[in-house]
Amino acid sequence: MDAARGDRIHLDAKPSRCMNLRTRIQRTIKVGWTAAVVWSSYKLPSTARRLTGRPPRTDAELSQRHERTARRILALALDMRGVMIKMCQALATRSDVFPPEFIAHLKQCHDAVPPKPYSVIQAVVERELKKPLAAVFSEFDQAPLASASLAQVHRARLLDGREVAVKVQYPDIEDIIRNDLANMRRICRIYEFFDPQPLALLPLLTELTNHIGYELDFVREGKFAERVRALFAADEQVKIPEIYPDLGTHRVLVMELVGGIKITDKKKIEAAGLDPVDVMQDLMHIYVRMILAAGFFQADPHPGNLFVTEEGKIVVLDFGLSKELPEGFGLGLFELMFSLMTFNETAMLRAFDELGFRSKTGDTKPFLLIARRMVSRSDSGSFEGEFTEEMTSELFDAIRDDPIAQVPSDFVLVARVFSLLSGIAHTLGSRANVLAAMSGG
Amino acid sequence: MSTVHEPEPGRLVYTEQELLASGDYAEPLIANEIRCHGGFLEDGTYLSPRTQHRAPAIHAWKQRLTQQGHELIDIPRSLMPPQYPNVAQAKLLLCNGVREPIVRALTIISIVEGFGAMIRDVRVPKLESLFVEALEGTALAHLTQGLFEAHARDESGYRDEGGHKQMWEAARDEALENPKIPGDVLMRIMGRRQKRAKTGPIFPEIDPQLERMLAFMSQVMVIEIFAEGTFEWGIGLLSDPEISANPKAAGDMVSFIQQDEKPHVEYLRTALSEVRARTIRTVDEKEIPGSVVIDEFLHRILHAMSRNRQRDQRDDLRENLIQAMQVAQDPKTLLEEFDALDQAWTPPAETGFTSTRSPAAA
Repeated sequence: MDAARGDRIHLDAKPSRCMNLRTRIQRTIKVGWTAAVVWSSYKLPSTARRLTGRPPRTDAELSQRHERTARRILALALDMRGVMIKMCQALATRSDVFPPEFIAHLKQCHDAVPPKPYSVIQAVVERELKKPLAAVFSEFDQAPLASASLAQVHRARLLDGREVAVKVQYPDIEDIIRNDLANMRRICRIYEFFDPQPLALLPLLTELTNHIGYELDFVREGKFAERVRALFAADEQVKIPEIYPDLGTHRVLVMELVGGIKITDKKKIEAAGLDPVDVMQDLMHIYVRMILAAGFFQADPHPGNLFVTEEGKIVVLDFGLSKELPEGFGLGLFELMFSLMTFNETAMLRAFDELGFRSKTGDTKPFLLIARRMVSRSDSGSFEGEFTEEMTSELFDAIRDDPIAQVPSDFVLVARVFSLLSGIAHTLGSRANVLAAMSGG
Repeated sequence: MSTVHEPEPGRLVYTEQELLASGDYAEPLIANEIRCHGGFLEDGTYLSPRTQHRAPAIHAWKQRLTQQGHELIDIPRSLMPPQYPNVAQAKLLLCNGVREPIVRALTIISIVEGFGAMIRDVRVPKLESLFVEALEGTALAHLTQGLFEAHARDESGYRDEGGHKQMWEAARDEALENPKIPGDVLMRIMGRRQKRAKTGPIFPEIDPQLERMLAFMSQVMVIEIFAEGTFEWGIGLLSDPEISANPKAAGDMVSFIQQDEKPHVEYLRTALSEVRARTIRTVDEKEIPGSVVIDEFLHRILHAMSRNRQRDQRDDLRENLIQAMQVAQDPKTLLEEFDALDQAWTPPAETGFTSTRSPAAA
């Protein structure tokens, strides 16, 4: 069961009236204009070519078009922030749907934004906790530790002396997101109406809406953090900050302040007398245990959320994007990853089926072709237990090239997690050895 | 069952392709509707995969070593802890409707077998420069020339053929009629991470990659030898018509795996015995007898596996078994009967190998 499914923030509701009307109109026009330009840049030239009898665009021409479009979408996201940043981050994970040019550009969409003034944050905390700041905290830093698209984090001290991190949601963010999502939903419907062979964008939007809904619900985030903390309670190599639920609401999250060396800072890790290879293997173990064995996980392992203490403990922060997998999914994923890394195409076929992959025609031939394509990598050497970014790309290239109708979105999220971990491993000069982590080693 | 592959007198050098070759079968091995490795001769004899040249090659390397007057490593069977629960205990549980612990145990065995494929990723240094004596025509010289790869393929399957992982699953499903797999199977494997040892190398004077490789091979060899007890347990249990829906098919499947595993034990035993018979060059251009290094590893591994690890695993399993017994009509009586079937076992005082680097030795 989802820790807080019943408490979810509903972003599919209409935007409230309290958001400035002018802002709403401006945002609507910007999104609508970009969508129209993108759509026409693809459709008009191909229609014109068809009518004039010219051949369709070459792969190179299409690649250039994808580049320009991706840059345009990225610029819009950086201008509008909020949900547009989140949307780009989400699109960048769907290499099974979008071409590589999109993925390469949109994955650069970082989540850092200028912080809101302290007065705004203070007002949110006091309104949410229904108390003046001084009634809860003896200290509250005016400058944030970090700021992102939905919230920012401040260091503070409780009256009993405990040092805490306070995550505070921006006051108007829900309305901005509702407005942007409503706009995007409208645009997707118009696009699907006009385009005879549309990409299935509405399901992606629903998935994005769900994910942002999760991220905006700090009660859910706190419960997930506590579940993961309980999972690793007996593991001395892992540190999950303690959550103080009595001081939290849906928009304010108070937790133990935990710091450390950024996981990608190889020099500092080595200076602390730690081996980056061990650090990476501990990190891999945490993720395979969460995803495959426990079936719930923190789905955002980017370097800003992962630290190492001087004693070598891995710190995992930010459970906003956490995910619960359906029963049995972990075992299916294990079988798929295991068969992939041991070049067993028969086992891979079974795992595809168990995980819910479906072809358009209903037969298994496309999966056999994908399996063979992946297994053929063994001719040029072994994976050495690693589920790399290149492997993810190769798998999704194979899926895009073949008529696969249904790729489970949970699988896409997990593939993204391992791909991010592989990136961290390379920064550390190590390998993300999933096989060794799965074996408990 | 024995293979038909005859040794080629005097031949000690093989290509990778040869060591991975299987030859022809009259009939393939199909398990759980999956084509598995290996197959049958006309007379119904099971033939292990990739043994066409591998089996005679191992035989020849072993023979040369003994003819040169060197000993082959021998791990006494008395060091092998008994299976827990034993066949009688497991049978008692199944007869009383307590299926989950046995299904879990069989599933874990299948997964752990599959992890054997990790041997193909062992980093092997340039061995010729690390030994004083020549390596030509030895098992050691063939580790990356097909021996590790054949081992990996046997364990987890390869391309369109299933391996031991799939064969154990088939034996479980045949005997227990496709049972539901307990949801905590992966947690049992991934949740039991050992604390990272911060002791550093045991032999700082030898090449670190060589030390890691030899330690890993020693560990795998002991596991493979101890697995003999698991095979006997599997055959005894799954071929029992009282609890098995398909005793012949399930029992045979485990015996095929048992047969396939023999070359693994033998090539590891031969290669490690070759190290014992040689001299290792140290990083500071001195020498150390291979027997000192191998005996140290074997002593440590056998000591841990026959004592602490065996006790910890038993304690962990017992807790789980008592919990699972609650589905029985009379859990208390069942536990008493279960304990009455237990066999006391005390590990021998000595491992048979000498340690020169352990704190006790110092």
